[in-house]
Amino acid sequence: MEGAKQTQAVSVDELFYMPSVVVAAHEMKSPLALIRQLALDLEASVQTAEQQQLSRRVRLMSEQTMQLVADITRAQRLEDSLFACEPINPRAVCEEVAHELSPLFREHRRQLAVQPRRHTPLVVANRDLLKRILVNFATNALHYSAENEPVALQTSMHAGKIRVAVRDRGPQIPRAVWRSLAATQQPLPQPDSRRPQSSSLGLHLSKQFAEAMSGRVGLVRHADGASFFVELLPSTQLSLL
Amino acid sequence: MSRVLVVDDNTWQREHLVSLLERAGHSVKSAGDAIAAMEMIDDRAPEVILLDMLLPGANGLTLLHELRTYEDLARIPIVVCSSLELPRRELAPYGVVDVLDKAVMQPRDVVAAVEGALR
Repeated sequence: MEGAKQTQAVSVDELFYMPSVVVAAHEMKSPLALIRQLALDLEASVQTAEQQQLSRRVRLMSEQTMQLVADITRAQRLEDSLFACEPINPRAVCEEVAHELSPLFREHRRQLAVQPRRHTPLVVANRDLLKRILVNFATNALHYSAENEPVALQTSMHAGKIRVAVRDRGPQIPRAVWRSLAATQQPLPQPDSRRPQSSSLGLHLSKQFAEAMSGRVGLVRHADGASFFVELLPSTQLSLL
Repeated sequence: MSRVLVVDDNTWQREHLVSLLERAGHSVKSAGDAIAAMEMIDDRAPEVILLDMLLPGANGLTLLHELRTYEDLARIPIVVCSSLELPRRELAPYGVVDVLDKAVMQPRDVVAAVEGALR
């Protein structure tokens, strides 16, 4: 650049160094962000209800996928201890998730509801990670719940710990599938034929997030569906961490 | 009518932002990299710059550094528009007055940020 003074050398690596997985995730995030912006423009300008629906669905899908991409980045950063835990009201997080996902569920003609509970103890968690776990569970449940059966966000006590669960009423997950999920820590190589839209990526990331909070994820199989839960310590046990 | 410079390496993103700001009544130019941006700035300084940080070759941070070395150009307010989650406070010394996250921003947010920077 003509006439430019000598500038202080900037090390790009120092500012922008990222592991390759994070770089890949970012490369996916940029076009998704643009798709979302273009869909927003279309939503604001198109005429027919069908066109509006199409652009709305494009936007919702891009937002959903961007969140999953962001989760990949989060999972790579767990070791950096960037996600501090504190006492969190899990019911408040459930309500936040229900509110955030209601447009997506509405688009799929499904419902997501927070099951009432008189008293919900606080849990030791990172709000961001807990929310992402529940969003992943609820998004997974979205595809396997019937129209007239709402997906429920529930909290409960279990052996001194607190479970925050997403209950859907849909096809049963085979026990072997879940064992594979738990044992290998790798995404399933093939989607289960009874849950064909699941690649388990969201579930695997949720498992990592839960473990970063000294918790665990689990599954309760029902004849008419499943409950995916995250189990966390109550805040009364914060000193144990 | 204010002069805005949009700097983004993605052609469609650039065109989208240009269109958005022109519809809001601004005079907009665009550049796909830091060198082209600097040439446009040398030619006629914009009143606000909408800047993506990840650019080919010299990145957005390099451009910010470059602008700071010139007293007149250092006064141009910058709105960073990126899919990176960037800390606004740390970018403020570079003349960055607002940071937009491409993943969540609405068209009105872009217009509001640019017009806010002009005030």
